Amino acid sequence: MTTLQLFLYAGAFILVLGVVATMLVRDLIRRLIALNVASGGVMLLLLALADRGDGEPDPVPQALVLTGIVVMAAVTGIAIVLARRVERLDDDLEEVEP
Amino acid sequence: MTVVAFSDVDVLDILVVLAVAVTAVLAVVIPRRVSATIAFLVFGLLLALLWARVAAPDVAIAEAALGGGVAGALLVDALHRRQPDSPQRSRRRTATVTAVGAVLGAVTVAALVTVLSRLTAEPADLGPLALEAVERSGVSHPITAVLLNFRNLDTLLEIAVVVFAAVGAAALSRDRIRPVSDPGPVRRVIAVVIVPALVLLAGWLLVAGTSEPGGAFQAGAVLGAALIIAHLCGVHAARAEGRRALAIVVTGLVAFIMLGAIGLAATGTWLALDLDWAFAAILAIETLLTVSIGMALAMLFLAAGSRDEGSVTDARARAAAAGGAP
Repeated sequence: MTTLQLFLYAGAFILVLGVVATMLVRDLIRRLIALNVASGGVMLLLLALADRGDGEPDPVPQALVLTGIVVMAAVTGIAIVLARRVERLDDDLEEVEP
Repeated sequence: MTVVAFSDVDVLDILVVLAVAVTAVLAVVIPRRVSATIAFLVFGLLLALLWARVAAPDVAIAEAALGGGVAGALLVDALHRRQPDSPQRSRRRTATVTAVGAVLGAVTVAALVTVLSRLTAEPADLGPLALEAVERSGVSHPITAVLLNFRNLDTLLEIAVVVFAAVGAAALSRDRIRPVSDPGPVRRVIAVVIVPALVLLAGWLLVAGTSEPGGAFQAGAVLGAALIIAHLCGVHAARAEGRRALAIVVTGLVAFIMLGAIGLAATGTWLALDLDWAFAAILAIETLLTVSIGMALAMLFLAAGSRDEGSVTDARARAAAAGGAP
């Protein structure tokens, strides 16, 4: 097994782990963490692919990953705001119909 | 059956990858939010280490500033709230669903590994093409050339996503931004020392990004962190809320669209840059993007930390206190 393969297989494992957990976990904050873990797996795949060969790494996947990190931070932010909303509505519902 | 040989692989790589995999498992398996968040933050830090191993210093900087910094602050800030009880479901059904998920996940990993094992170790054709064209882009750092010139439509759409997220979060939490309690002398000193240093670092990352690792994203993340620290330390001059903050966030997107139109007028292609003014245009748009991204991240943080007012419980309590009918 080469370093490239080690990174690629680890990336595939982390990606699938995150996606499965995103679908199975019911706590909203934990689901968000699982989604972030999945994005870490995608980044590992892309960056390992960018670093193939001996020369300079391929800048295109690296740029894609940079874009992805910023988008993921924005998604995390708005998802937390939405999760708070949902949980507050759940609390209110419990209050109204005990 | 062949034994997997790791003889070609650096021991450090194996250790870091193992640690990353273990923290990833912990982050999704631990039921308590606090512990899961801590595992995730460790996961992010280890990833930044791994990015240095795959020759991606730009990504490592962004991961450390955004993944560990701003996203970590967002998640930790969400923890002070009580974790709702998970709804009671039958244990058997949960076990079945988890088992089905685990089996499907294992099958998917096996399929992915089969595909990935057939990849050649040769780099794709696109990389050399991009590296060759860097000298015609106006900047000398390949990643900045890709982000702000070759594929700047991606970056335009990304800033649009960030703007929509900031606007949406601000709209959802309007009027409920927590006021900062009086910062003690310690926090004031922290603000005086750290905030200017972070702003300076953001400026350096921005300008350095034209020729070496760094750029608008990393600078924006650091600026966002500076704004959040300023807010937490009670500096009111830089509050990331209200119309002014929204205007600053939208400016980056509008300026980028205008740059696209200028490119259309000057070269006949949407978003194309002429080599004569490409450097000036890239540095100008990066400066605006840095401010926009920084302000948007700070807005998201404030919105995520907004207090829970206006719920039915609160309204009832207030009505009872006022002595009126609910």
